[in-house]
Amino acid sequence: MMRLISMVRSWAAEVVAGWNRFWFEPADPATLGLIRICAGAMLFYTHLIWSLDLASFFGAHGWLAPEAVRLLQKDTYAWSYLWWLDSPASLWAAHIGALVVFALLTVGLFSRVASVLALVATLAYVNRVPGALFGLDQINVMLAMYLAVGPCGAAFSLDRWLESRKAGPSLAIQPRWSANLAIRLIQVHMCVIYLFAGTAKLTGPAWWDGTALWMALGNLEYQSLDMTWMADWPRLINLMTHVTVFWEIFYCALIWPRLTRPVMLLLAIPLHLGIAICLGMVTFGLVMLVGNLAFVAPGLVHAIWPWSTGQGRAGDPNQPPPRSKSATATRPAAIPNRPKRY
Amino acid sequence: MPTNPNIPPNTQQPAAAVRAILSVLIILHVLAVFIGPWAMPPQSSELAASCARLFQPYLESLGLANGYRFFAPEPGPSHLVRYEVTLPDGSQQQGVFPDRRQHKPRLLYHRYFMLSEFINTLENPNAPRDRAEAYAKSYAQHLAHLHQATQVKLYLRRHFVPRMSEVRQGMRLADKALYEEHPLGTFSERDEP
Repeated sequence: MMRLISMVRSWAAEVVAGWNRFWFEPADPATLGLIRICAGAMLFYTHLIWSLDLASFFGAHGWLAPEAVRLLQKDTYAWSYLWWLDSPASLWAAHIGALVVFALLTVGLFSRVASVLALVATLAYVNRVPGALFGLDQINVMLAMYLAVGPCGAAFSLDRWLESRKAGPSLAIQPRWSANLAIRLIQVHMCVIYLFAGTAKLTGPAWWDGTALWMALGNLEYQSLDMTWMADWPRLINLMTHVTVFWEIFYCALIWPRLTRPVMLLLAIPLHLGIAICLGMVTFGLVMLVGNLAFVAPGLVHAIWPWSTGQGRAGDPNQPPPRSKSATATRPAAIPNRPKRY
Repeated sequence: MPTNPNIPPNTQQPAAAVRAILSVLIILHVLAVFIGPWAMPPQSSELAASCARLFQPYLESLGLANGYRFFAPEPGPSHLVRYEVTLPDGSQQQGVFPDRRQHKPRLLYHRYFMLSEFINTLENPNAPRDRAEAYAKSYAQHLAHLHQATQVKLYLRRHFVPRMSEVRQGMRLADKALYEEHPLGTFSERDEP
């Protein structure tokens, strides 16, 4: 009995240690910094496009009249500060303010404040125009939320540049547990998104008979690239349809092992670029790829980032810690409690 | 968890108490992230709906009440809105949205596309009727305001996707046989709020 209790205790201790490593291990904020740039740019562009028809969507005489939207949002907690803005001048002032916030987020100036304001603005816009939204807006909200959670301006930002000007060029990027937390939340959220995107498709006969992709590619209103030549290649359409469903369903499992992660990420590229190029949803395709960046190791981000100093690569949440004693002994000093396993 | 005083606090794991509080928040948040799409109608269980009610304030205030059912259950026909407006002098104008030539860039086109798709979603027999009517009226009022029109007629145009075999036989995606249309309503000045 004592042995059983001891085994349970040991197991529980391992679970707690694993949980702490997963969520709270300090991590290099490089990946979060890259996501901030990409998501910030996407938020800026998404809202910049509203400028072309601002009054038609957000004005009192717009497509979505306040009474119609309120009927849809009756008894809900959806909120938006845009409801308070009656005049075109106040609407434009708030809109320009939001664009400035998204620009600040993108370049990483006053990142902490900008990230919170960006989340508030993003939610305000989506809650004002239900009916004009699609997947892009859902992912925009998700990324804005997690950028507000983590230190998104700790790397690749003007904040960081200004900080290093004061402290000198030797200032290293410090690993932070909050950077890891934000990245983990994006990772888990991406898994949930793909899981439901995949399982929902199982109720559609076209995803089983392999013609679903044709139904998307052959849809004239979506089409941005004529892919009707693929009607001559039904087996290829079938294959792409089945791969899409299986990839989405198994993403939540296969994105974690080091062995399968690169394959899953590589498959994400043609899938989302296909949506971007063929179905005219460039923004949606790209923003999904931005979400996938959460699984890219900070070390790789430093390697591809042209101005990276290479500092602060320690604490990579996507890399296993050294297993041997000698390797453990060389761990960076900034990571005092480096886990033995990942 | 031992801490090293020589290392900045933000580069270490947070203190045990902070970790415990954050852990509870993380569990609740991840649950909410899961419940959002799990409970999304029309296909959801009573259990899922009960959980969603519990998390409703959090889900809705943070924009987490999403189904993420992209192209599910399957990509279907697309929907457009055709409109006919009667001007004060009795003349008529008509148009369709989304309109590729008029709505540029592509993201703006997609916003208009979602407007027309949304009215189709509300036209679903299982959806509350008053919502579809309110949205159709809202679209009509906007068009009336835009054109200074006295009357607006709206039609929902459904555009089916041809089968692969039909395309192989020469059918074009814009073939007239692939369209069907039904009226959404006629709205006059009297409908103005």
